[in-house]
Amino acid sequence: MMFLRTRIEAIGDAVLGFFRAAVELWRLYIATIAGVARGFSRRRDRRGRPRGEVARQLYSIGNRSLVFIIVTLGFIGMVMTYQACLQLGRVTGDYSQVGSQFLRLIISDFGPTLTAMMLATRVGAGIAAEIGSMKVTEQIDALRMSGVLPIDYLIVPRFLACLIMTLVLAILGSVIMYAAGGLTAQYSFGVNPNSFYDLSFIRPRHVVVFVVKALAYGAAIPIVAGFCGLRARGSSEGVGWATTAAVIGGSFAVILLDFIISASALWLTGGDL
Amino acid sequence: MSERKYIEFKGVTKAFSGKPVLRGMDLAIDKGEVMFIIGTSGVGKSVTIKHLIGLLRIDAGEIWFDGNRVDQLPERSLAPLRKRIGMVFQSSTLFDSMTLAENVALPLRKHGKLGHRAALEEARKRLAQVYMADDADRYPAELSDGMRKRAAIARTLALSPDVVLFDEPTTGLDPVSARRIDRLIRELAEQLGVTAIVVSHDPPSIFGIADRVAFLYQGVVHVVATPAELRASQDPIVQQFIGGKSSGPMETPGF
Amino acid sequence: MIGNVGAGAIRVAQEVGGIVVLTGQVLRALVPPRIDGRELLKNLHKMGNRSVPIVVLTAFFAGALMMLQAGPFVKKFGATSLAGWGAGYAVLREIGPILIALMFSGRVGANNTAELSTMTVTEQLDGLRALAIDPIRFLVVPRVIAMVVMLVVLTVIGDLVALLGASIVGRTMLEIDWSTMYYSFADNLKPYDFLHGVYKSIAFGVAIAMSSCYFGVTVRGGAVGVGRAVNAAVVAAAVSIMLLDFFLTYLTG
Repeated sequence: MMFLRTRIEAIGDAVLGFFRAAVELWRLYIATIAGVARGFSRRRDRRGRPRGEVARQLYSIGNRSLVFIIVTLGFIGMVMTYQACLQLGRVTGDYSQVGSQFLRLIISDFGPTLTAMMLATRVGAGIAAEIGSMKVTEQIDALRMSGVLPIDYLIVPRFLACLIMTLVLAILGSVIMYAAGGLTAQYSFGVNPNSFYDLSFIRPRHVVVFVVKALAYGAAIPIVAGFCGLRARGSSEGVGWATTAAVIGGSFAVILLDFIISASALWLTGGDL
Repeated sequence: MSERKYIEFKGVTKAFSGKPVLRGMDLAIDKGEVMFIIGTSGVGKSVTIKHLIGLLRIDAGEIWFDGNRVDQLPERSLAPLRKRIGMVFQSSTLFDSMTLAENVALPLRKHGKLGHRAALEEARKRLAQVYMADDADRYPAELSDGMRKRAAIARTLALSPDVVLFDEPTTGLDPVSARRIDRLIRELAEQLGVTAIVVSHDPPSIFGIADRVAFLYQGVVHVVATPAELRASQDPIVQQFIGGKSSGPMETPGF
Repeated sequence: MIGNVGAGAIRVAQEVGGIVVLTGQVLRALVPPRIDGRELLKNLHKMGNRSVPIVVLTAFFAGALMMLQAGPFVKKFGATSLAGWGAGYAVLREIGPILIALMFSGRVGANNTAELSTMTVTEQLDGLRALAIDPIRFLVVPRVIAMVVMLVVLTVIGDLVALLGASIVGRTMLEIDWSTMYYSFADNLKPYDFLHGVYKSIAFGVAIAMSSCYFGVTVRGGAVGVGRAVNAAVVAAAVSIMLLDFFLTYLTG
């Protein structure tokens, strides 16, 4: 009986903690948006630092992840096409739809989602580690003392850069995935490239979903990573935990957002994907 | 040919990333004695004793223990050697996920063929020998440095080794704890016949309990003598080290 | 630029070599299997506790997602009986094992690397050697076994939870009722689809475990090195998972 009670209490604690963290995350998100707005209003009188920082982050994020994304999404594209053709061969034997449906899946789901998951690992970890080690070496406090809002200086540039980069890399990754898939279908199952590369099933709403998802992920990853970084405690070990939490949290956020956006899209279009 | 010494380092040479640390070091240690190895920081004291149990490998030279050459043994064959020569590290290296009793019980379980409960019993007895019986069920993180050091000694003694190496046992301890450790080491040598090799730069220890002292300087053993002889030495370098003077003929520490 | 790529390639080759050597040592320690039972149990408990919640949640949503993607398409063609197949095979063969492995690597793998590297940095491994206890046999082997076993168990549980998630979405959003769903799973998904995923999870488990332990044991440079080791372990595991998935898919079809 006691055992059950402690278990339930533990679950209760976890749920409360989760909600508290969710509220904090949301606050951080709003603060970031406010920071972006502030940046725009200041653009007239003070260029230079905020702008340059975004550019630097763009470069750092893009550079670090480019090869990783290309290679990973290429492989996944090949594997998914292989599995799909295998199953189709078993059930219907008809490969004519594979290319067009695969493209639909890439655009409305896999392209942005897989890219984002890879970025959550690479970029999310990097951001959490940077901000985390600044936190434990008290540089964040030092920033506050000199009148700079940590949000403005640290999180906003990364936020903007990640937003842009996720979209760009998602587009690139999707192209690679599609191309790799086509090659696999051609060489392993003899599917005619002309019938594979078929864009006729793509509607504007698919592209809209693509962009919405890419932007949502691009926003979520740096916020979660920054949040974990700012919460780092102790020494380098605390930074390690912050990094891990950022990777897991970012990946999970991507999946959750994917579900929410896909379900909303389904509901809005009345069940027709 | 007189009988070979118990432990012998002959012409031991070791360099790290091109920087030479030991340059042909010779040292002989008798059975049952308490030998101190002293010198400035970075001169190679810890490195020397780590070579004895194969945690590091020498570049050239020979190391002999009890009539056998030991510097060329492969990792797999080092187990018997390590059961006879124990080492107490500077940072105590107790396993922080185990209580003191479990720590001391570990070698007993692995090598003493004791079951878990029997090993814990035996472990408590060993901890009592170092006056730590009351803290047997606490974790290393909860204890002070001095207490951790004593527990580490208990763990090393669990397999009843013939030789125990101490890497700076009193460094960082308050004077009272340090003297307690010294007394413990002396008891080991006198009551259990353990040969103790102690790396140290703590003068009260050196002049308190050492039988002989080896002064390491510039990669070789500059002098080996009893503490009394050392005090009386006219060698300017020895005088500078013993007197703790910052200026003198010694070059910057180590080299 | 070329120099950078070359240097990077050499470093990767060194690390791969190191991991292979460590794997060999672990395998040798398994024959004869004298493993420390206490350590094994302790690790199983710790790793399971840590990873079950996040894996279950992730799997649930992943399954739900697959149904969202496959369901409407299948329904449009009136082949609702194939809905389970559509979502199911992707989950069992690919999404399930890969996603669960990635989450496991981020949670358990990273933690394990942090622990082992902290122990290495504080000389506890040397302490073990000085007591004539082989750190590989005592520390690494139980952790490797625990991680592989845990990942397989988690994949099985996760697969089932994902199918559950898919069914719930099917019922609530696509109005496919339970029995249709159940039969579409049972009729179209063969046991081999399930096993295919399980074989993969074994391979992923080994990759995650070896990479995690390797970077933990070879860490250098104090507390900063610990962070770097954790990062390297997670990235190496992710890359290995992708590569292994690729090869296993083609080899075992």
